[in-house]
Parts: sequence; structure tokens; C-alpha cells
Amino acid sequence: MIWLTWRQFRGQFLATVGLLAVLVAYLLYLGVTIRDAYDSDIVGCVAARGCLIDDATASFIRDYRGPVTIPSIVLMILPALIGVFWGAPLITRELETNTHRLVWNQSVTRTYWLAIKLGFIGLVSLVLTGTLSVLLTWAASRYDLVGGNRFDQMSFASRNIAPLGYIVFAVVLGTLLGMVTRRTVPAMAVTLLIIGVVQVLAPTLVRPYLRAPVTVSVAYNAETRARGGSLDIPSSNPLSITGYSIPGALTLTDRTSLRNAGGTEVRATDVKDCLADEGVTSTDGWQQVERCIAAKNLHFDLEAQPANRYWSFQWIEFGAFVGLGLLLSGLAFWRIRHVRG
Amino acid sequence: MTSVLRADGLTKHYGRHPGLVEADLDIPAGRVVGLVGPNGAGKSTLLGLTSGLIEPTSGTIEVLGSRPAASGSQLARVGFVAQDTPVYAGLSVGDHLRLGARLNQRWDEQLARRRIAQVGLDLSQKAGRLSGGQRAQLALTIAAAKRPELLIFDEPVAALDPLARRQFLQHLMEFVSELEVTVILSSHLLGDLERVCDHLVLLASARVQLAGEVDDLLSTHYRIVGSRDDVAHLPPGFDVISAEHRGRQSTLVVRRTDTTPIPRSFANAERLDLEEMVLAYLTRATDPSGAASHHSPALETLR
Repeated sequence: MIWLTWRQFRGQFLATVGLLAVLVAYLLYLGVTIRDAYDSDIVGCVAARGCLIDDATASFIRDYRGPVTIPSIVLMILPALIGVFWGAPLITRELETNTHRLVWNQSVTRTYWLAIKLGFIGLVSLVLTGTLSVLLTWAASRYDLVGGNRFDQMSFASRNIAPLGYIVFAVVLGTLLGMVTRRTVPAMAVTLLIIGVVQVLAPTLVRPYLRAPVTVSVAYNAETRARGGSLDIPSSNPLSITGYSIPGALTLTDRTSLRNAGGTEVRATDVKDCLADEGVTSTDGWQQVERCIAAKNLHFDLEAQPANRYWSFQWIEFGAFVGLGLLLSGLAFWRIRHVRG
Repeated sequence: MTSVLRADGLTKHYGRHPGLVEADLDIPAGRVVGLVGPNGAGKSTLLGLTSGLIEPTSGTIEVLGSRPAASGSQLARVGFVAQDTPVYAGLSVGDHLRLGARLNQRWDEQLARRRIAQVGLDLSQKAGRLSGGQRAQLALTIAAAKRPELLIFDEPVAALDPLARRQFLQHLMEFVSELEVTVILSSHLLGDLERVCDHLVLLASARVQLAGEVDDLLSTHYRIVGSRDDVAHLPPGFDVISAEHRGRQSTLVVRRTDTTPIPRSFANAERLDLEEMVLAYLTRATDPSGAASHHSPALETLR
């Protein structure tokens, strides 16, 4: 049975290995290049006198954003690709060409037949995904260190062990849907749809609440703007910070009020002395206002999943999707015995 | 006498559409069984249920004493060649033999090789490029080389031209005598099977119309001609299968259900051949009112 599965899958497998080889070569090259650039431009800049580390970092990130993003996207769409092109046709191709009537009448049960087929494809998918994930995690590690946020969706879904969970889910989902719809094209379409929806909903609706978020108090100072937080001074409402992200963490609050040491929201009237009477127009003037407000010992509160929870989140998602995959394969093994031959 | 197939109230519905209704069968081992009926009569359903490809909606079926496809060893005892003899188009003839060898513990490699050589198939040829006849031969070889106790063929010759049809059936009969295997063959054409089968199951309108040993069937069915009055007073022990009235004269097809002798008034009673018998049953199945009508399903089955 293993031989038959291999024989049927051989062509696709060899083509995949070819593509994989190209990606592996690219990731190895990328990893070495990024390391070299990191050593000379970032570490070198810190050592050198008169080098502006912010500029060096910005240029390093700019140079490698594209080269890191492309393989990240590949890893993110890999579950959909494998679910659609390997999972969905696994059973439907047999049903559509009637070859199930040949193979189900040899001396092996359907359950065994499915176990070998699903196990084989699942294992190949896992090895493929694992190889790419490990290599990308390694290749992009310096980039992630300097400017990336490991909790960022693209980064989270394409590094370490989370992709392995997604792939298990995708392969089994495609196979099960093929068994239910009995037609390749509808099975592919529904598989793609479900994986797409899950990939949108998981990071937006589920991941932020996998564990109870913690409230982080951040002092308002010159760093705030560098982390994406922009100050807003409305005339009637409290002052607010929008878009701040805590380094390495999954920041859940987008907009929050600025507060004083006592925790009271700060209003424009409270910082009257920082605001020029005629209103602020020039950038220089605005920077002066920010500096003036920063000197007032203010802070803001954010809900977040802190950086040290990264691995717990990776494990939770890996476990959840592997669990879903096992659940669906349980359904598939129950279902296969009742599929009309 | 051991049964190769025993069905009791066997029923399969596809949604609301009946595939097979209340089939009771008991087929002895060692026969060549012809399963005949018009298209859509339920032949494929019955064979699917026998091979375990289909689950019954209700009723029971036992094949060689067990539930079909219940286990690997049960599967090993039954060879099944599906309609249109599906094969893996991308795999070569040799690959198919390897498939058979890998998936069947009782695989007879020698038999398989010999058969392939005998029908002139090239081991390296892709199965997708075989002719219908060659494909049927390949499927037959795979099913036979697993050395089953029961070999099932669903419409094996429907897609073949007359010459390939004859060759296929000839090879099949060689197999049967060599392997001592029970065979069930279906066809919508009685003519394909009447020369090879010694047990007949006739299906129409999703029901078993007739089942039995061909010799027994032939010796219990008669055509009798007489006046309407005579035929209206048949003694018990005769079932009227079909009746045709023309003027004052009636022609009946009857089945003798016990050893009652034929009444003297029907001295002209004569035996039917298989074809006439099948026609009578099909006529009854498609037109329960009993009036003889020669419309398509019955005729289609005969020629």
C-alpha cells in the first residue's frame, strides 16, 4: 500500500522536491547574507564611533524586508496550497476515475488504505513545512531581532512550530472535504475557503485572547513616537495615543488615553502651558509640544500579550491545529467506511 | 450445499430512489451465476452490496458466510471487477501487477504473468492507453490472481465489441475451470450470459423476479395454449407468469411449483427456452396488469 501511495504521488513529490531545493538554496543564501549584513552594519555600527544606530537599523530593515517577506508569504500560503492540491484530490481523484472500486477490492480494508494514504501525504507535508519553517526561522533570525515583531501575523504564522499545526489541519481538512463532496473542484474550493477564513480569523479573533491579556503601563516619552504611537490633542476629549506597539509583544489596544501619575486622564486644559496660543503649525513646533508634554511624567495603559508568551502561544496554536487535524481525521476514518463505492 | 451468497430482505435506497428492494437470494457455491436485467434494474446495486462497496439500507447479506468487506481476509476471498473495468491510467500494466502483489496476500504471480502474456499485454504499457478489451483483460487478471473464492463481474462485456466479448468470456471460462471459483456475472443482455451461466438471477424494477439453477428453471416453466375457459381453471401448483389472449384463445407461461402433472387438457404444453422465460418475467415486471406488451425494457434485455 505504501508502494502504491508512493507510485501515485511520485510525480508531484519529485516536482515538490525540485521547488523545495530552490527555496532551501534561497533561504540558506538569505540567512548567510543577513548575518553578514548584521555583523557589519549593526554590530559594526554599535562599535564604530559616530555611527547612528537608528539609521543603520532602518536601512538594514529596509534592505531585508522584501527578501524575508517573500518566503514568509510562501509559508503562510503553504497550508492552503497543500490542502487544496494534495488533500482535496487524495480521495476524489480515485472516486472520479472509479479506481476506488479497483483498490477497495484488493485485500486491504478502506481504513488501512486511508491510513497509509493520509499518513504518507501528511508526513511529506510535515517534513516539507518543517524544513522551510526551520530554515526561514534561522535565516530571518537577525532580521526579527533587529526590527521584526515575532507576534506579527506574518512572522508568527511562518516561523517555528505554528506552521506544522496549520499543515496537519489543512491536509486532513482537504481529504475529509474530498470524501464528503466526492468531487475534486468543489472540495478544492471549500478547502481554500475554510483555510482562508481560518487564517484571517485565527490571528484577529482568537489569538489575542488565547490567554488573559495583561495591562502594561508605558511612560510617555521620546520613545513613544519611535514605537508608532502618535499623540492626539483634541480640544474637548482626553489626550490619546494611537498605534503604539510594545516591542516583541502582541499589543491589543490601538487607542488609549494619556494619564497622569495619579491615573487621571489628561485633557488639553491640563497641558495648556505646552500649547502655543496661536496653535501649532510647524513640525518643529509639534516636537516642542511633545517634548513639553513628555516632561510631565505621563503614561498610558495598554492591553497586551507580552513578548515572553511567544512560545506558549506557538505551542497553543500548534497544539490546537494538530488537535483539530486529529479530530477531522477521526471523522474521516469514520466516514470512509460508509462512503458509497 | 454451501452458499456463496445469502441475502435476506436486502434493500438499498438512494435517497428516495429504490436501488434494490427486498431481495431474498441463496446462491450455491461452484456456479457461474448470470445476473440479468434491464439497465437500472439494480444489478450494480446488488453486486456493490455483494462486494461491500455499498452498504444496505436494510436487510442482510452474507457472502461466503461473512459481512462483505468486513476485513482484509474477507476482501481477499472476493474478487470484484467493476463496471467499465477501472484501472489507474497513469500506471503501467506491470505496475498493476505489482499493486496486486502488494495488496493481496494470496497473490498468484505466476498466474498473473501467464495471463498477461497469453492475452498479449505489454508490461510497460500505460493502462490508460489500453483498449477496452485489454483493460477488461487486465482487470480480470488482477481479480483472478488474488485467488478469490468468488469472482464478481459487473457488466464486463458491455463496452466490448463482439469479438472482444467472445474472447473475454472464453478466457473467463478457462479461469473458472482452472481456479474452481464461483463467478457472478451481470449483463443487460441475456445473450451474453446464457451460454456460460448455470444459475440465473433476473432483476427488474429493483426486484428479484426469478432466481434459480438454469436446468431447474427450464424444467418447470411451460407455455400452454388453450381456450380462455381452460386456462381460467388451472389446477393448483401452477403460477401464471404471463398471459396473452387473442380472440378465444389464450397463451400462458406458467411455472410449476410442485410435482403436479400437467392437466391433460394442456397436452400441447411445451418447455420454454431461457430467452422466452426471461421475456415473460420481464413483461410481468414492467406491466403488472398482465397484458402482454412488447416494449423496450424486456426487449432490450434480450437483444
